[in-house]
Amino acid sequence: MTEPDEREQIDKRDPEVRAEIARQFNARIPHNGAIALEIVDVAGELVVTRLPYRDEFLGDPMARLWHTAIGTTAADSTCGLAVLLALPGLESLATLDLRMDYLRPAVADTALTIEAECHHVTQSVAFVRATLHQGERDRPTALCTAAFMRTGRSLIG
Amino acid sequence: MSAAKTLRKAIEAGDYPAVVAAIPYATYLGLTVAGDGDARIYRMPFRDDLIGSTRLGALHGGTVAGLLEVSMQLEVLIAETQPRLPYPVDFSVDYWRSAASVDTYCRCRLIRSGRRIAQVQAECWQDDPDKPVAFARADFLLRAIDQPSPG
Repeated sequence: MTEPDEREQIDKRDPEVRAEIARQFNARIPHNGAIALEIVDVAGELVVTRLPYRDEFLGDPMARLWHTAIGTTAADSTCGLAVLLALPGLESLATLDLRMDYLRPAVADTALTIEAECHHVTQSVAFVRATLHQGERDRPTALCTAAFMRTGRSLIG
Repeated sequence: MSAAKTLRKAIEAGDYPAVVAAIPYATYLGLTVAGDGDARIYRMPFRDDLIGSTRLGALHGGTVAGLLEVSMQLEVLIAETQPRLPYPVDFSVDYWRSAASVDTYCRCRLIRSGRRIAQVQAECWQDDPDKPVAFARADFLLRAIDQPSPG
């Protein structure tokens, strides 16, 4: 697939276009690769990623619980992707602020799923929220809210 | 010796590398702790795989948030006279400047440490402490070191 570089040529309703944007977004972020963040589903407004478990991500090795902070990293990346897919064009973004509520511990040996939704966009700012869970959506491990600044500059070139 | 006892001894001895080693994610970020008394400085050495934007040569915001959150957790852990494990309840970060491809430093302010909750703020910077790149605050639930973790 060719790289979409003209705003007019990008149809972000097309699931294949969305998948390709997500793939390139993830490939261009070295830290996402380092932690092995996976794109799960970007066809709809709810953008879903998955972070496979690793011992390195433990916060409490005695109780075998994930560190909450690695979930924050995955949430930041997933929220950024949700915003990118919600905006016209391929706009460069900067996280302004981000808040996490850690509702319950995430247990070892099970992946984290992150579901993010960009729910409001203004000329300058995009607002997004995310839910983190381990397979049961009604038992989230954490909730995230974040605001991203739109730079107006293209991600490409 | 149990992991809880090892951690308790490390805190009592001021053995910061051993305290960091007790938290695998702190080890993953490569955190080190310097200083003593009330003036500890936490450092996250630059590594290529911490980058979030190759084009801008900027650290991933999540790694900056990770430095802030883990530093605040370590600060509570180290400052407590009777070691208790601080579990993050909530956390928020404001990004003030883009973080470049260099080492990042963090200092924390333990605002309050009560019977069950500790409240902390932190700032991190790179080349110039007067130009912080991010600010964070967090609340931690405190549990006795040998008590079961929250479930």
